[in-house]
Amino acid sequence: MPTIIKALQSQVGRKLMTGITGIALMLFLVVHLAGNYAIFASAEAFNIYTKTLESLGILLYMAEAGLLFFVLYHSFLGISIWLGKRKARSAGYEVYKSRGGVSRQNLASRSMILSGLTILIFLVVHIWSFKFGETEMIMSADGEPMRDLRQLVIDSFTTWYIALGYVVVLSLITLHLFHGAWSAFTSLGVTNKNNTQAFKFGAYIFTIVLMLGFIFIPVYIFATGGMGSLIAY
Amino acid sequence: MISLDAKIPDGPLEKKWSRHKKEMKLVAPNNRRKYEIIIVGTGLAGGAAAASMAEMGYKVKSFCIQDSARRAHSIAAQGGINASKNYPNDGDSVWRLFYDTIKGGDYRSREANVYRLAEVSNNIIDQAVAQGVPFAREYSGLLANRSFGGAQVSRTFYARGQTGQQLLLGAYQAMMRQVELGGIKYYTRHEMLEVVIIDGKARGIITRDLVTGEICQHEADAVILATGGYGNVFYLSTNAKNSNVTAAWRAHKKGALFANPSFVQVHPTCIPVSGDYQSKLTLMSESLRNDGRVWVPRKKGDDRHPNDIPEDERLYYLEEKYPSFGNLVPRDVASRNAKLVCDKGLGIGKTGLAVYLDFRDAIARDGKDMISAKYGNLFDMYANIAGEDPYTRPMRIFPAVHYTMGGLWVDYNLMTNIPGLFAAGEANFSDHGANRLGASALMQGLSDGYFVLPSTIGNYLADVKPGTRYGTDHEAFDTAAKKAQEAIDRLLNINGKRTIIDFHRTLGRIVWDKIGISRTKEGLEGAISDIRSLREEFWTNVYVPGEKNNYNKYLEFAGRVADFFELAELMAMDALDRAESCGCHLREEFQTEEGEAIRNDKDYSYVSAWEFKDRNGVLEEALHKEELNFEFVELKQRSYK
Amino acid sequence: MSTNMTIHLRYWRQTSPTARGYFENRTISTVNEHMSFLEMLDVLNEELQLDGAEPLEFDYDCREGICGSCNLVINGQAHGPKKGTACCQLHMRNYSDGDHITIEPPRASAFPVIKDLVVDRSAFDRIIEAGGYVSVKTGSAQEANAIPIQKNDADQAFDYAACIGCGACVAACPNASASLFTSAKISHLSHLPQGNVERSNRVVAMVEQMQEEGFGDCSNFGECEAVCPKEISIAAIADTRRDYVRAVIQG
Repeated sequence: MPTIIKALQSQVGRKLMTGITGIALMLFLVVHLAGNYAIFASAEAFNIYTKTLESLGILLYMAEAGLLFFVLYHSFLGISIWLGKRKARSAGYEVYKSRGGVSRQNLASRSMILSGLTILIFLVVHIWSFKFGETEMIMSADGEPMRDLRQLVIDSFTTWYIALGYVVVLSLITLHLFHGAWSAFTSLGVTNKNNTQAFKFGAYIFTIVLMLGFIFIPVYIFATGGMGSLIAY
Repeated sequence: MISLDAKIPDGPLEKKWSRHKKEMKLVAPNNRRKYEIIIVGTGLAGGAAAASMAEMGYKVKSFCIQDSARRAHSIAAQGGINASKNYPNDGDSVWRLFYDTIKGGDYRSREANVYRLAEVSNNIIDQAVAQGVPFAREYSGLLANRSFGGAQVSRTFYARGQTGQQLLLGAYQAMMRQVELGGIKYYTRHEMLEVVIIDGKARGIITRDLVTGEICQHEADAVILATGGYGNVFYLSTNAKNSNVTAAWRAHKKGALFANPSFVQVHPTCIPVSGDYQSKLTLMSESLRNDGRVWVPRKKGDDRHPNDIPEDERLYYLEEKYPSFGNLVPRDVASRNAKLVCDKGLGIGKTGLAVYLDFRDAIARDGKDMISAKYGNLFDMYANIAGEDPYTRPMRIFPAVHYTMGGLWVDYNLMTNIPGLFAAGEANFSDHGANRLGASALMQGLSDGYFVLPSTIGNYLADVKPGTRYGTDHEAFDTAAKKAQEAIDRLLNINGKRTIIDFHRTLGRIVWDKIGISRTKEGLEGAISDIRSLREEFWTNVYVPGEKNNYNKYLEFAGRVADFFELAELMAMDALDRAESCGCHLREEFQTEEGEAIRNDKDYSYVSAWEFKDRNGVLEEALHKEELNFEFVELKQRSYK
Repeated sequence: MSTNMTIHLRYWRQTSPTARGYFENRTISTVNEHMSFLEMLDVLNEELQLDGAEPLEFDYDCREGICGSCNLVINGQAHGPKKGTACCQLHMRNYSDGDHITIEPPRASAFPVIKDLVVDRSAFDRIIEAGGYVSVKTGSAQEANAIPIQKNDADQAFDYAACIGCGACVAACPNASASLFTSAKISHLSHLPQGNVERSNRVVAMVEQMQEEGFGDCSNFGECEAVCPKEISIAAIADTRRDYVRAVIQG
């Protein structure tokens, strides 16, 4: 039997790890979304949430390192699959057309590399602006100083190009997940002839709910100029 | 003088094979690796033999003309494979399978061979199941059987309509395992062009690498030809496009006898020819005749839509002529009558070479759903190919050649009259006599490959000194290689005006018209002179394109068509010699007033084995007769009235 | 009844494995709706020869959709537009007078071109060699009915065993992956008790060989299933992944 290293390098292992890291990243997105909605909970909730996260110290670093690993591993696999395909078909077709029917070849599946790379670039910008972005220090109700990330979010999303940029990128993530969410489970071998439609349907619903959840925040903040009644002051 | 000793073991029928196995010489396991065996062809017989012999420890070299062993034409067999397991408890036995086969062959095969076939049929099923062949099963989890081709017992094992494919893949996989283990050297896209004979024994072959055009020499201690049948002499047949007689024919020209060349089976329910461009014919299961009614319009040239032709203007010729069997008469009778009505000008469609197979009454009686449940996939296949809906318009059908019972003459050990040269499967003549029963081609191929040859080859090799090598630089190899190359050069240098396919199609028409479903003395004599003059034109006016040192499919075809020309002449000679009707062979002079075949057991109870002498414009062959002695069965005339 | 159609063909020409290929255009005006696609190419070849040109090489044998020899990519689709149909069973009635048809060989580095549209698919043989069999010797088999197999399992095994090895899955896959071909054999054998014994070794060896031959990764596009003339489900690929993980875990 192959060693773990060899198994991970096999085409099945690569696919499995793409699926596992993909599912892990989707789970992270769920947690991320839940955190985002703190902005609607109370005036302080969002900042307390971020402060609590930062106060985890070493635990947060470990979580961040894990996340970084998943992102990098997922990206590495995606890029190497894409490079592998160019090697496996060194001379391309003059005419190429999907047969349709049961084929899952569509805009989403064909553009995984593009949507994926865009998301990767976006992540750098995203972390740069929100994790390391400049914020004012304010006092919490308990008199503790904390970063006013909430204001940073509101300021950012009332800027039209940032709000638009986020909507565009979130749409690309939606596209990525339209293929990725279902595909990840197929890669793990849990789908079969009977349940594959159910998995596909579930994956679409999951993606749509999750992404509407994300997109709602920048759209709402921009549309209301940051003064919407849902945002607690 | 050639001696035709069939080497049939003595003793009671049931004991012959086991006694023979006991008495045959063996090769010790550590000596087997010193013997090399060449096997040409990777169908059921060749694939099974290659795998089995490599497992035993022999060094095997396997050759096929396709790009993979898995594409051999055995793959296209649909119906199933017979075995006398008697799982359905309907009274089947080895004896009954033997008896049905020998009777079905119209008493023109050897009792001992056929009995052995029936005997090992059960081992074949065991072997295939162990390999993972997904045969149909009952809800109990046990193997399912069906009745096939009018048999009175259900003894046919099947894997949907793809039994040949599944059995072939079983043999192919076993073979690939041996390729991996080093027991088989595997040559694809290689065509055998010559057998090399040294000191009277087969010692190797000459092949052409079909990719590079290189002529290659291969030495061995024995050569097995499992190269299939010659149905493509008719141009249109249900055979695959690459099926050919070349390997067997070149062996014949080196001295191997060719037996019963005129025994060709025609299948009555094929999709008819639609035009000149037609490249092959597609068979549909004859089970269709269980519910379909065969008819033609009574009036010549009646081109009305079939559904507009009233009942009294339809000629249900099988029902009228054979009131008790009706549409279910055997294959040869159904085929012959279709040809008869078409010869009278009653055939339908543009070509006039088709009859209707009508499901109107069956659909009215049982409903469309019931008919669709029984024949849905066949109806779909027909609709796809013919472009017509068989639920609303009668099918058009016509007979087509699909199996050749004749082939290289072999003894009980499957060895030809050339020591060390064996023939297996459809390439030999051994088991089906003048007519083959449904679901027994797969049985014979696998029986030869898995169970007969692996035993009998040892008996031959035991007398060959291990490690005897003459080297491929021996002059016999040289001469054979030169001969093969010269034949190719000659074809390429003709540079004529007519294409190979044009010649082949024309030859096919002569063979179909005159050496086909029914034969006459005049027709056969005419065929011989037509074939000769067409052959003469071929050698002066054929255009063979391309180069010899490259992949060149039409060059391959040219060589094969050249061999078909000679074979066709021999078929006519054989049919002419056999002044009786038996099985598939109907001589119009020898039939009852109702058109039933009259067999002549007194004068023609023999295997005709032809020896090639020369071809100088005229094919010269000497006839040898192997008398058939029936010790265990009583000879009877068939009747389907 | 049927009239002749004119078809504008554009097909790949390549004189040898190492030569540079190119497209050649030719119009034929004697196409009949009842011809199969390959018969149309036969007609083309007769015309080419009568013009003294070399005929177009393409692979074929049984012409009834079972041997798996033919493997043309027609207007960008492996085996052409018809579902569940090999191109030898594709009829010209699926086309109209004046149509333009581009014919290419299956494009994959693991299937090098031999000549024109003929490619070398021996990589498939080597994948089977790696483990696509049950290691049973002739003569050692037990009585066929000794092990009952659930009808459902036998039927499923058949569904996968129906693969004809044509390579359309590779031709159509955007990654040129051979996952469906390889998995069809793995699933066929692992659905049967006879094949179950060697299940772990088989999946590991076959997956390794598939990669070694230079086929691409699977990205679950499902295009392979869509073009498969036997409509083999990509559920086979999921089976392979499960079997592989089990093999690695069990060691």
